[in-house]
Amino acid sequence: MSNFEQFHIDFYQSNYTIEDQEEGCNSYGSDKNLCESRKSQTEKQAAGGAFVPSDMLPSPQSYSGRILQPAYSPDSPPQLGYVDGFDEEPPLLEELGINFEHIWQKTLTVLNPMKPADGSIMNETDLTGPMVFCLALGATLLMAGKVHFGYVYGMSAIGCLAMHALLNLMSVSGVSHGCVASVLGYCLLPMVILSSSAVIFSLQGIPGTVLALFIIGWCSLSASKIFTSALAMEGQQLLIAYPCALLYGLFALLTVF
Amino acid sequence: QMWQVGKRQASRAFSLYANIDILRPYFDVEPVQVRARLLESMIPVKMINFPQKIAGELYGPLMLVFTLVAILLHGMKTSDTIIREGTLMGTAIGTCFGYWLGVSSFMYFLAYLCNAQITMVQMLSLLGYGLFGHCITLFVTYNIHFHSLFYIFWLVVGGLSTLRMVAVLVSRTVGHTQRLILCGTLAALHMLFLLYLHFAYHKVVEGILDTLEGPNMPPFQRVARDIPVVSNAILNTTAKAIALTL
Repeated sequence: MSNFEQFHIDFYQSNYTIEDQEEGCNSYGSDKNLCESRKSQTEKQAAGGAFVPSDMLPSPQSYSGRILQPAYSPDSPPQLGYVDGFDEEPPLLEELGINFEHIWQKTLTVLNPMKPADGSIMNETDLTGPMVFCLALGATLLMAGKVHFGYVYGMSAIGCLAMHALLNLMSVSGVSHGCVASVLGYCLLPMVILSSSAVIFSLQGIPGTVLALFIIGWCSLSASKIFTSALAMEGQQLLIAYPCALLYGLFALLTVF
Repeated sequence: QMWQVGKRQASRAFSLYANIDILRPYFDVEPVQVRARLLESMIPVKMINFPQKIAGELYGPLMLVFTLVAILLHGMKTSDTIIREGTLMGTAIGTCFGYWLGVSSFMYFLAYLCNAQITMVQMLSLLGYGLFGHCITLFVTYNIHFHSLFYIFWLVVGGLSTLRMVAVLVSRTVGHTQRLILCGTLAALHMLFLLYLHFAYHKVVEGILDTLEGPNMPPFQRVARDIPVVSNAILNTTAKAIALTL
């Protein structure tokens, strides 16, 4: 069991070594000569990869410095507290690639389909917002008594594949799967509004149908606006909006019935 | 290392077999063109003496097939159709794509036998645009449930799109027998498909009419009272025939 802990400790330790090389090793509290030998071995370590604890023997001083003294570093076992190494790590959100400002910008773009969109905002593939919106859709459907998580997942996956194929055929420059998935996921937000209103009143009458049609139009208008601005296909916005409308119509069918 | 080799092999195989770029020229359209072709598909041409131009475009037909799937799904959901083996979505997609691709291939084969000058893409395009009439008819009659209205739409709208397709084919074929074979088959299949689509997903309705109560189903109550005797008999025989074949 102690070997196992050693393994884990080595694992974490070598990871932080690569990233915080220049921040100074004094916070680790391990041997000073080990820090110096570590500094001199920067290139070798970077090439070798941080995730290879090559052996578990606690005799690192004769070795190249890849395996460090595990026992004294306060932040390697996570449950013992991150207090000392906390300032030197990059923030968790930055590491995960979640940028709240960008997410908020994109959400505002979706919510206001009349505003012309900036084509560059879709250059980064950001799947956090779409994931949140899909989960929100599933949750609001659950509140209305329908457990349709599988359907939401399946339809969004197949819809992304189909839209990706169509957009690649229709545009001069191609698109990546991530960009399509990101845009389609962001434009699912009005559908969440529809399904949350389905909790309050049944959508199967005339007002429900009118509301569903309005929401489908809103979603597909936003999606086609973002796609045409990102792919420079100005005259074909209606041609892109129609397949988006069909896809969001399927989601609306799921919500209404 | 193995991952990279595997990835390279997979991408090579993918680019060889799934090269969808060959379909790229068929999707190069403007909205104005699509709208014009949609409207043209309902207008039978008068001149059958020289070959009519058919646009070899796949965007419009593909969107029309997907629209038909959506309308079918909507109709199935409003009439609470229960499909025991399979899913609603699978049935709808299978029916529509099966019709489009299958009947196109069959007609292309017949056209090859009858020496008609038409390519596969043109046949797909022609039949796809012919589905526009089906979409309109089904959209109207799934929401307003009068059977006599459906028959009128079937004859008028279905008939118009069939006449257009038949006229285009006739203009591209020589010889009376060949024209007859080709156009007769196409007309029969096209009209019968519309009939099938209307009735196959309604056969549950008559069964549940008696037992159904509730505020959500008022449209269906009108169906039983409005059917005249003749169309009721036709309806029953058609439903029996479909139930026998299924």
